[in-house]
Amino acid sequence: MAFSTKEENDSKFQKITRFPRELGELRFWSFVLVTVLAIYLMYVFALTEPVQGLTDPFYSPTILVLPLVAGFRATCYAYRKDYHRHLFSHPIGCSVENFNKEGEVNFPGEKVGRPYSGETGIFRLENLHRYFWYAAVAILPFFYYDLYLAMAYRGEFTLGVLLLILNTLWVTLYTFSCHFFRHLAGGNVDCYSCPVNKKSYRRTIFNRISKLNGHHEMFAWISLASFFLVDLYIRGVAAGLPINILLFRL
Amino acid sequence: MPEDYETVESDVLVIGAGGAGLRAAIAVNDSGQKVIVVSKSLLGKAHTVMAEGGMAASLGNVDPQDNWTVHYGDIIEEGVYISSWKMAEILAKEAPSRVLELESYGALFDRTPDGRIMQRAFGAHTYRRLAHLGDRTGLEIIKTLEHQVIHRDITFYDEMYITNLIKEGNRIVGAVGIKMNTGKIFLFKAKAFVIATGGSGRVFKITSNSWESTGDGIGMAYRAGVKLRDMEMIQFHPTGMVYPPGVRGLLVTEGVRGEGGILLNTKGERFMLRYSPEKKELDARDVVARANYREILEGRGTEHGGVYLDITHKGSDFIKHKLPAMYQQFMEFAGVDITKEKMEVAPTVHYMMGGIEVEAETERTNVENLFAAGEVASGLHGANRLGGNSLSDILVFGKIAGENAAIIAKNSDMGKINAEKIKNEIKYINSFFREDGKNPYDVIDKLTTCMSENVGIVRDAEHLKKALEIISELKKEAGEVGTKGMIKYNHGLLGCLELSNMLISCEAITNCALMREESRGAHTRSDFPKKDKEWIRNIITELGEDGNMKFGVKPVDEMPGEYKNYVKPEVYS
Amino acid sequence: MAEKEIELKIMRQDPETDKGPRYENYKVPYVDGMVVLDAVRYVQEHTDPTLAIRWNCKAAKCGSCSAEINGMPKLMCKTRVDTIGDKITVSPMAAFPLIKDLVTDVSKNWEITRKIPMFTPKENMEKPWRINPKDVEKSKEFKKCIECGLCMDVCHVVREHYTPYFGPMHIVKAASWDMHPLDGVDRSKYLNKEGGLGYCNITKCCTEVCPEHIHITDNAIIPEKERAVDLQYDPIAMLIKGIRKKEKVMK
Ligand SMILES: Cc1cc2nc3c(=O)[nH]c(=O)nc-3n(C[C@H](O)[C@H](O)[C@H](O)COP(=O)(O)OP(=O)(O)OC[C@H]3O[C@@H](n4cnc5c(N)ncnc54)[C@H](O)[C@@H]3O)c2cc1C
Ligand code: SF4
Ligand code: SF4
Ligand code: FES
Repeated sequence: MAFSTKEENDSKFQKITRFPRELGELRFWSFVLVTVLAIYLMYVFALTEPVQGLTDPFYSPTILVLPLVAGFRATCYAYRKDYHRHLFSHPIGCSVENFNKEGEVNFPGEKVGRPYSGETGIFRLENLHRYFWYAAVAILPFFYYDLYLAMAYRGEFTLGVLLLILNTLWVTLYTFSCHFFRHLAGGNVDCYSCPVNKKSYRRTIFNRISKLNGHHEMFAWISLASFFLVDLYIRGVAAGLPINILLFRL
Repeated sequence: MPEDYETVESDVLVIGAGGAGLRAAIAVNDSGQKVIVVSKSLLGKAHTVMAEGGMAASLGNVDPQDNWTVHYGDIIEEGVYISSWKMAEILAKEAPSRVLELESYGALFDRTPDGRIMQRAFGAHTYRRLAHLGDRTGLEIIKTLEHQVIHRDITFYDEMYITNLIKEGNRIVGAVGIKMNTGKIFLFKAKAFVIATGGSGRVFKITSNSWESTGDGIGMAYRAGVKLRDMEMIQFHPTGMVYPPGVRGLLVTEGVRGEGGILLNTKGERFMLRYSPEKKELDARDVVARANYREILEGRGTEHGGVYLDITHKGSDFIKHKLPAMYQQFMEFAGVDITKEKMEVAPTVHYMMGGIEVEAETERTNVENLFAAGEVASGLHGANRLGGNSLSDILVFGKIAGENAAIIAKNSDMGKINAEKIKNEIKYINSFFREDGKNPYDVIDKLTTCMSENVGIVRDAEHLKKALEIISELKKEAGEVGTKGMIKYNHGLLGCLELSNMLISCEAITNCALMREESRGAHTRSDFPKKDKEWIRNIITELGEDGNMKFGVKPVDEMPGEYKNYVKPEVYS
Repeated sequence: MAEKEIELKIMRQDPETDKGPRYENYKVPYVDGMVVLDAVRYVQEHTDPTLAIRWNCKAAKCGSCSAEINGMPKLMCKTRVDTIGDKITVSPMAAFPLIKDLVTDVSKNWEITRKIPMFTPKENMEKPWRINPKDVEKSKEFKKCIECGLCMDVCHVVREHYTPYFGPMHIVKAASWDMHPLDGVDRSKYLNKEGGLGYCNITKCCTEVCPEHIHITDNAIIPEKERAVDLQYDPIAMLIKGIRKKEKVMK
């Protein structure tokens, strides 16, 4: 049976952990390929200058910080769930179906463990999430600066500005609903009111962030989608499409 | 079929891993003796997990006027003056320290605004007294004790079904058990024994009790010559679920009425105003249970045989916050949204006040080296139990039983066991494996139906006599039951063994109910509707020389003069 | 309604005598509002008394009756037949060694629990202890755990791999002590080093099956991981902790 402890399976465990076997899987390499290609394309067709005052979020403040943003997302707990499940099939799904695809009975306990090291091998790096978070917070003001730039460009409130505002909002929510921030803000405290009558603002902050944190996964995906959407949109504007519609003058 | 067995020795053997058993084991361990705990279910799954409301202790955190004397008075009055005053005193005095001790073991309780342990109101307690953690107090208690046991040097054998005690002279020297998950038979040798096997609610068809409450402890003790007391006293909880049939009997916590729920009949009348104009829905359990019963009997009940319990007027938010478990229970089991719909409820068997007679200060039984504590023991609750007193009972007396068992164990040697007796016991177990055996569950079904129909909440001589007839017939049938297959995890075998114990409880309950010709506390006789001064007595049941059940009556121990001041004098109409 | 029947498929095997498991079919009359446990017990009481099942409270309070119902780990006593249709397959939890039929050997759980340091109160506290009512909440969530083991069963780490990971149920247990407002020990580093916390890859399957709706991953596992990072991987946090040195850290 799979349910075993260190003592009993030390030898097996040794064999399994040293090399992160996930990296040997095809799904992973196809993902890496797509990512590398995407980054390459972004360099080649860079949009480093604002278009009609709109800064492409991928280049704010410069594409050089992109690895930081990518690192933040790659180590984020919300994305971890998804790529571990979908990229590496650990696990394939939450159901514990005892039937295989052909409809034959595949009895419990007969499953053979695939090699697996979880977050103990190379994925131990995910523990650096908090440093990426610091970086993300440092980058955040630039998005607001870009907003200012966009509005100040001609004193007009355009569709592009609206999209940038939304984008900034999602990024902000995503950043501050982070599990690490929740931990930092009060998750590491067990007794907020010790002694008992002590007033504690940290509890309030923690509870609020916990609420936000409940939607962290949603923010993660919306903000990512919004990034690409806005990027596409600005490229469209740069290509001369008349889509930066004027909503009202400021 | 197995002939051989494994022998295990310890200083003290505790049978039962509910709150009482675990606390006793901890007490033995504290005194440095070697202890083994056995239980029929898995460790940590005992019946105690089901307790919801809380644990009564006069901490006085919410109502500072509260103290042990008030608690004492409440116990005696609710027990309608046939409780053991000494046990009541011990419980009232010790319960607060047991709560604090649990806290030091890591149990969490809800708190008052100034950080002390919160206490909630419960039916018939003078003050707010129940320490609790939401509506999961039993779970918290059992888990806390479970982890104490796991982390201490205490051996436990779970899924070990004890079939019988082995007696030599007037002393218990061993116990035989079946390890269900391996099918091996065990002999436990010890210097002292504690029975903490809980009640026998399962002898009734409609009950809130868990599967294991089949009165095994009462059965094995009775066979070993231990005296039982007040077996007729069965507490009915007024509100058990009625529909769907699968969950019939499942408890609807008193908290619903505590938070403002009202009882209605099909005419829409709030009938408790008639039965108890002052305390209404929050009167003692026996009063409310009888009222519900009457309404249903007189045709003002629902088609499924229940009355309505309505809390919808409190609003959705309030209900979900205060009664989350009940909201879930009805949503998941009955598909009823209690924030919008009325619940259907009817009385359900809940607790056994009767059981093994013990000495108040030590929990010793009349058989040497044998102790009993928890729901299986009797004396504290008299004719009716106060809500929340059972959890205090199991901890207070579990500890005392463990301590005294350890003392006896220290001063005794390991008794000699006649190997013949073990052989016979194994033969008895194996005798149930036969191809032509009757299905034990059919017999159990007949028995529980008979008990629910004839020895229910309101009793009379006619029905009780009828029940006795059925029981004696079923006793014959019980001689023919059997099962097939292997001994390992064989529920058919368990059914056979449990049946013999259930029959003992049933016979005792029915006979005692027939003897007590009055209505007192939970025991109501429609042919003797009044309380009778003559009956400030306890009924004792024991195994007679001739192998038949023997009954006796003895007066209740009189409490010392100053204690009488703590109790309202009894009134007879 | 009485005529309606459900088709029940139950996995049967006694590993000591049977070579392999087999599924057997039973027909059980449908009763309104019936749960899977009712159906299985019907088989046990009327068709085959040797069918091994484990149950106790029948009220979703004790956590004994865990099994895999149509491929999802669930409590048999809490799963209503009318929510899953009238063709039902029941098999034992595959993450635990089989004893017989639907009963599995969960004794490993005690061994693991024994390794996790228990609640240890902070030193020099004035008695009786005072706790702010709001500070109870964090630990209280984990105190709901009925130790049913469903989260262990669904967790792919426990189920499919040989690792030292304790499993979600035990992380919940440890978190209930770690987050007790008066507990003076930090178990996170121990959990990470000895308990294999790193093997959990936040896939949240455990949270999905928990019958008590405990947010196992978000509220127990991730906070424990973050605490372990504080003590093991993050030099700045380690420095700060080192200076403060308030809490006792296990190993
Ligand atoms: C739904 C419900 C709610 C309740 N709420 C409250 C409440 O709010 N407050 C309160 O004070 N009380 C409450 N009670 C009552 C209280 O829970 C019980 O009376 C109490 O838990 C009994 O504990 P115990 O230790 O005596 O026995 P149990 O917890 O019943 O334990 C019995 C033990 O004995 C073992 N055993 C039995 N037979 C054998 C055998 N043959 N061989 C080996 N082992 C055996 C069992 O496995 C088990 O471990 C409630 C009861 C119910 C049913
Ligand atoms: S979140 Fe972690 S513990 Fe839960 S199922 Fe996934 S891997 Fe297992
Ligand atoms: S955490 Fe939930 S699923 Fe896991 S054992 Fe506890 S109650 Fe069961
Ligand atoms: S029987 Fe107790 S949880 Fe199902």
